[in-house]
This record gives sequence, C-alpha cells and structure tokens, in this order.
Amino acid sequence: MSSMTGAERILTVLKLKEPDTVPHTELLIERNIINAILPNASYEDFVNHMGLDGLLVFDKISAWKFEIINQTEQIKKDQWGGLIRFSEAAALGISVGTAFRSPEEVNLKNYVVPDPDEEWRYNKLRDIVKRFKGDKAIIAQVYDGFNIIQESLLTHFEFFPAMKNNPEIIDELTEMVGNYNLKYIKNCIEVGADVVFVSGDYAMTHGPMVSRVHTSRFLTPMLKKIVDLCHSLNTPVIKHSDGNITKIIDLIVDTGIDGLHPIDVIAGMDIEKVKNEYGNKICIMGNVNVGTTLPTGTIEDVRQEVKDCIRKAGVGGGYICSSSNIIHSGVKPENYIAMVKAIREFGKYPLSF
Amino acid sequence: MTEAIFEKLKKTIIDGDTKAAVQATQDAIKNNVPIKEILSNGLISGIRIVGELFNKGEFFLPELISGGKAMQAALEEINPLLQNLEKNDSYIPGRFLIGTVKGDMHDIGKLIVVMMLKSNRWEVTDLGIDIPPEQFCNAIKEGNFDIVGMSCLLTMTMPQAAMTIKALEEAGLRKRIKIMVGGAPVTQEAAYKMGADGYGENAWEAVTVGEQLLIQIRKERMKI
Repeated sequence: MSSMTGAERILTVLKLKEPDTVPHTELLIERNIINAILPNASYEDFVNHMGLDGLLVFDKISAWKFEIINQTEQIKKDQWGGLIRFSEAAALGISVGTAFRSPEEVNLKNYVVPDPDEEWRYNKLRDIVKRFKGDKAIIAQVYDGFNIIQESLLTHFEFFPAMKNNPEIIDELTEMVGNYNLKYIKNCIEVGADVVFVSGDYAMTHGPMVSRVHTSRFLTPMLKKIVDLCHSLNTPVIKHSDGNITKIIDLIVDTGIDGLHPIDVIAGMDIEKVKNEYGNKICIMGNVNVGTTLPTGTIEDVRQEVKDCIRKAGVGGGYICSSSNIIHSGVKPENYIAMVKAIREFGKYPLSF
Repeated sequence: MTEAIFEKLKKTIIDGDTKAAVQATQDAIKNNVPIKEILSNGLISGIRIVGELFNKGEFFLPELISGGKAMQAALEEINPLLQNLEKNDSYIPGRFLIGTVKGDMHDIGKLIVVMMLKSNRWEVTDLGIDIPPEQFCNAIKEGNFDIVGMSCLLTMTMPQAAMTIKALEEAGLRKRIKIMVGGAPVTQEAAYKMGADGYGENAWEAVTVGEQLLIQIRKERMKI
C-alpha cells in the first residue's frame, strides 16, 4: 500500500477500515510542550513538524466573540453572556459567571443569540483549509449545548436541578444553542472541515453526570441532530466525553457517531472492552494515560502503553492513537515525542502482534 | 404522628423539593417537634439517603444538587433556633477548610463538596480557587480547623497538593490537622502517596471520609 496522507488515514479509520498506519492527532497540545519541542512555533507549524494526521480548530478559540471585562483578572464575556477567566493553566478558560442567575430569570425574547453566519468566524478555518486540505484531516471542534449551558448560561447549581424542576427551560436553551451549532457546523463543512468533533463532558470519574433518562431527554437528541446533519454532508463525527461513560455509552453510540474520544483511562474506561463491544460501530480515539504515563512515566513506559493501546484497539483499523485527554502542560515533552514515535513504530498495518 | 413528619421531611430532601422542604420544616416547628429531631430524624436522614444513592450510582448531579439545595433552604429555617439551643449544648460541628490548589481554577467539584458538608452540619470555610500553599498555611494558623480539603481537577495541578502538604509540614502545622485530597485525576493511592489522610472519590465520600477522620481526630485530641 502506498503511503496515505494524514487526512486519508483518519477518514479511513473513521470508516472502520485499516489505513497504512495507525493515525495520531490530539485534541490540544499546551503551549509549554510546543515551546519545549519547537520553540515559538505556531500551533500549525508544530502539528506539521510532529507529523500529526489531523488538526483541530476550536470554536471557542477561533470562532467565538469575546468582550474584555477585566484586563487584570483576564476575565472576558463570551458570546453567550458567560464570564470566562483565562489563565496559563487554563487556555480554554474557566467559567466564573453566567448570563442568567436562575431558570426563572431566563427570558430568550430579549436575548441576542450569536449569529453563526458571520464570515469572520471561519477565517482561521479557511487558513487551515488552505494550508492543510488533503494532507491533514481538518477537524472542526464544537462545544455542545450541555457544556455551553453549564459554563455560560446557567451555573451548574442552577442547571442540574433545572433538569428535574424546570425541564422546559433546559429544552429551550438546548434548542437555542443546538440551532446555532447546527448552522456553525454546516458552515464549517462548507468551508472545508473533514471531521466534526463534539466536546462537552457527559461524565465525571465517578460516572455519568445525569441519569440515562436525562441523557436521553437532554443530551443525545441534539447530538443525533448533529450526527444526522454531518452524515447528510458526508462528514464523520467524533464525540468527546471525559469521565466514566460506561453506563450511557450505548446511548451515545446509538446516535450514530463515528468516533469516541478519549476513553478516559483515569476514570476507569477500558479500551479493550469498548473495542470489543462497540468496535464494529465506532472508531476509538485516545487512552494513552495523561494522568500517569505521559507526565511521570519513562520513555519505555510510554512505548509500552502505546503498543498496548494499538494492540487492544487497532485491530482491523478503527483507532486513532492519542492521549486520554490533551497534551497538558504537565506532560514530559520527551514522553510526547516518544509517544508519536511509538505510534509510527508499532502502528504499521498489518499489525505484528 | 411525629414519625409521619420525619418521613415527610426526609422525602422532601430526597425529592430535592426546596419549597416542600421549607414548608415541611416550618410545619414540624409549629407542631413543636424538637428541633434536633427535625434535623437528625428528618432532614439529615434525607440528605444521607441522597448521598448514598449518589454514591451507588442511582442518583446523579440533578438529584444530588437538588437535595443539597432543599437541605440548605430547610437549614435556614431551623439554624437560628438551633443556635439558641446549642448555646448550652455539647454539640461541636466539624470544621472544614477547603480550597482548589494553586494553578487550578476549577470550582464545581469543590462547591458540591461544600454543599454536602454544610448539609451535614459541618462548618466550612471555602478559600476559593487557585490557592497557594502559604494561603492554606495561613488559614490553618489563624483558624481552628479539623480537616483541610484540597481539590485539584487537573493532572498538572496534583503536585500542588503534595507541595501544600509539604508546606504544612515545614510550617509545623501538619499534626494540627487531617488532610483530604480529591478531584478527577486523584486516586486513593495518589492521595496517600502525597501524604494525605483521606480521599473521597466523590462529594458524598468526602462527607463520610471526613466523618471518619473527625472521629479519629477527636480521639487523638482526647489522648493528648
């Protein structure tokens, strides 16, 4: 088989077929890791340098509108009205305030919904498409309503009880954010995105955040709408969720997603079990441990873990090898280099183990 | 009659129904049910069931947080009466200092722990997020706490919990307090390895482990 491009590799495994070698990409690589390996390189140059097969374009970073509220505290108001505090430790920011204080306060008649059709939102994606189309898989990342409502619209303490006590408000907010996302995703695909990546954790280490009933009521219907839209445009969808999703994984898979990330090993997710049970339906992405192996392990530990992940999930294709979350600032740069090298070494098809 | 009142109080908390919990508490007060019994046989029994169901994976965040909110609203009704009652009483609540470690801005997990602790009558001082070791040390020096809880959601901030424990040792404060660590990347093994006395996998375990440590602390202090 002649060598595939990164885009071909990722699109092949998302169709559950074998590529020439197991692909690799990451949700995010923190700045200090990039600087340690290729000082002051742009994110795109670094991805190119390391030979990653795909590149994610974050909606929050490249396509959301922010207004500075407090320069000293690095607090900005996001386009949904949420207050986000940015820091070196949290490049994507942490919510410190929401648009509404309670479900009773939610009044969408006077609320200005962001316009997903504004051209500027796609400038970054266009640049990426121009540079990498055909070479690397261009992956448009989008935060789902479950995440945006908790972070920007209602506090966690109001949002979760409202699922029980004011479900119609949650429906209304989910639909508002979902409609924005559907238009945004359609536009991203038209601009040239090859894959859509839906963020928004459904679980904690302990287990799902909400019951199966609430998952089916509030979470998976909008995910299915995204999947249906993407499939109508011949674009695969990867769903991301940290935490232990064992109790709801069937509901997530039933939406028709093509890939699942990150198979959170810290929360006890077992990649072999997921492969055995769902490997005929979804591509698996992730599982190289960012809690222990990548920050504190030896290079040999990393090589062994990459080999294990490929052995467990790579059979027959359907696996993108990546960390079990992001390459965060605590990862040893040399371990990340070792991980990328090991994927290339052990990931060649036909697999030799 | 009283048993029915307790069942009703319990049910309102398990249902996470704030309005009903406040109403049931007011009704119990009007019916001259002893305050301490309203609390222990009704409300606390209810919130413990909520916590246990959460721990077993039968309740989730909507039920846990609703239960906590109902509990806190009911406590506001009885706290003034309880404080009068306890002036001449031997009840001493556990005192818990909590904060998210330096470099970590995450709040939600810690806030749920605070809610569950308060619902179980702990006195809680929440230092907030991004708390450096010296701030934990200063708070412990100035306050009178039984337990300090450190929360870290990021793998990269876990070493900060270990550094805070080391700072407590260097400041001669370690023996004064029990230490608990929690958060998504923390395991029991990691918590003990860094020198903590306890670890809670979730908000309810934080309460039950805290209670075990409090018994231990009080026994140790009695020996001294």
